[in-house]
Amino acid sequence: MKLVIGWLYPNLMNTYGDKGNITVLKKRCEWRGIKAEVKLLNPGFDIKELAICDLLLMGGAQDRQQKIVNNDLRRIKKVLSQKIEEGIPGLYVCGGFQFLGKYYKEADGSMVRGLAILDLYTENPGENVKRLIGNISVQPSFDESFLIVGFENHGGRTYLEKGVESLGKVIRGYGNNGEDGLEGARYKNSFGTYMHGPILPKNPRLADYLTKLALEKKYHQKIKFKKLDENLEEKARIAIAKRIGVGL
Amino acid sequence: MLNFLIVLIGKSVSLFSNFFNLGSGGTWPGHIALKLNKNFIDQAIDSKTKIVLVAGTNGKTSTATLITHILTQCGNQVAHNKTGANQLNGIASAIISEIPKLSNKLIKDYLILEVDENVLPLALKKLTPNTMICLNLFRDQLDRYGEIDSIVKKWRDSFSKLSTNTTLILNADDPQMAILGTKKTKNYFFGLNLNLEKEIQHGADSIFCPNCQSELIYKTISFSHLGNWACPTCKLKRPSLDISSSNFFPLAGTYGKYITLAAILFAKNQKISQEKILSSIKKFKPPFGRQEKFEINGKKIEILLSKNPTSFNESLKTIKNQGAKNVLLVLNDHYVDGIDVSWIWDIDFENLLSKSTNIAVSGERVYDIAIRLKYAEKFTHIFTDLDEAINKMIENIAMGEKLYVLANYSAMLETRKILLGRKLL
Repeated sequence: MKLVIGWLYPNLMNTYGDKGNITVLKKRCEWRGIKAEVKLLNPGFDIKELAICDLLLMGGAQDRQQKIVNNDLRRIKKVLSQKIEEGIPGLYVCGGFQFLGKYYKEADGSMVRGLAILDLYTENPGENVKRLIGNISVQPSFDESFLIVGFENHGGRTYLEKGVESLGKVIRGYGNNGEDGLEGARYKNSFGTYMHGPILPKNPRLADYLTKLALEKKYHQKIKFKKLDENLEEKARIAIAKRIGVGL
Repeated sequence: MLNFLIVLIGKSVSLFSNFFNLGSGGTWPGHIALKLNKNFIDQAIDSKTKIVLVAGTNGKTSTATLITHILTQCGNQVAHNKTGANQLNGIASAIISEIPKLSNKLIKDYLILEVDENVLPLALKKLTPNTMICLNLFRDQLDRYGEIDSIVKKWRDSFSKLSTNTTLILNADDPQMAILGTKKTKNYFFGLNLNLEKEIQHGADSIFCPNCQSELIYKTISFSHLGNWACPTCKLKRPSLDISSSNFFPLAGTYGKYITLAAILFAKNQKISQEKILSSIKKFKPPFGRQEKFEINGKKIEILLSKNPTSFNESLKTIKNQGAKNVLLVLNDHYVDGIDVSWIWDIDFENLLSKSTNIAVSGERVYDIAIRLKYAEKFTHIFTDLDEAINKMIENIAMGEKLYVLANYSAMLETRKILLGRKLL
């Protein structure tokens, strides 16, 4: 079996240790005897490369970088949108998450058009309103048996509309907007989230869930993974959970 | 009159906290001073004292210490915020400690201040520097500092108000530093012409033209986004260098070179002769926690402050070149370190740490760094207790061998505390 992971804009959208998510997906495949290839999709990449990806990732960046990416996204919008509609799994973190929505209203009020693939929008309430920063814990809807722990740091507040579900409920922290108790978004097999840390190293179950979705989609069969040692991950999760007063 | 009182109170507080060994007491005098008189800093420095500010993500303390050392060696009276406390209260504290008893003015030849990135615009409202040294900006503690571009914007706004009395010493190799000069300021540039990397490393920050956003082209790369850069679109390029080499570098690694060049360029500007500069830097010992060396029972220990991906990568390269066999990595997440540890995934452990190295990890986020090394496929000893980590590692190395400790800020202080007892300096 082989998994092709498409990393959207690694040279630009990599501000919050996003590389860690890629490392985790790739290594966990290798440790299970699954080949994993990572395609680095930087501005101007060949669209054919995107078409053959089985799993997509996109991270966050600073405003300046996001402007450069936004221009390139117009070019690839059609293919990316097709992939998401087909149910190709993806993890879109922070800036990547915001791009999938309808628009992003910046702190100074200017509007940045999104890809409008997901039914959501983001608004930054202004430079004088505090950013939502801190450790966070979320109960994911796709698996009630565990809690995700992560770190969030965002100025934009995201609001979900009818056509999209959340990734889960906020147990501690702010989530999408600090108001409605929801974090992230799920549409088909695409997940948007504000959680970094990065999210996958401390939440191997989410990493495996995404990988499984991708392989089942590609090979049209049920996949059973062999268990990997997660002793360190569990200890790291418990350490953070304790600090924010959450029992895992 | 008020400032006389402030100095008196400040000195008493300082005496008190030293006596009772209150480690964090260093910034209290300044804190109290600014509460009593928010203009204390502006008023307390005599106009004959030349003020030198040092700013940047990495290398502030080492640069300020090296400059202080050169000036002192040349017979100048120099005040310096040497504990590295670089917020306004730390600066005020340093000023108080350098003012003579029963006085209200700091009168020295020089006042050398390292200044926190976010505090710099505020500091420039209070102080008129004779010289400003700008080293670099890298992603660092994003939860505290925010993103680089927003820092640069604030710097540029405040630099536009500088007068012809200020000299800027800028790192030409960092595109964002190279363009900080204004028409009014006298601008001097340091940089390197070494090609140390084949391509831009992952996570490099400022690799786009600060003028037109095109991707920059590099003739040489030192590390991260530092190098001989040029914009293919608007033709903006690295300014020509006033200094690019030295016969002697008192600090190891590429960072050590940049720091040394900045200090020498400053010293030259102060009309200090080449011979005097060279003879003084040869006697330089690095400040606390920055390539600081210890010896315990015939075993050597060296601490390298490593606080963000770039500084960590450069520390790893420096110790790799020295053939490091034993390494202890310590990761904390106090407010001063940044409470987000995502950045450890941008460190290139895969290529910079050899499998045969004896590696241990500790600190409050020991499991996070342990997971990082697990994914880099390096075998690691895990210690939840730092005291135990240090003692076990020292115990297990051979006589004459060295243990390298790479630690972020509060972890570095804790490591020193264990090695030396409580006192910071």
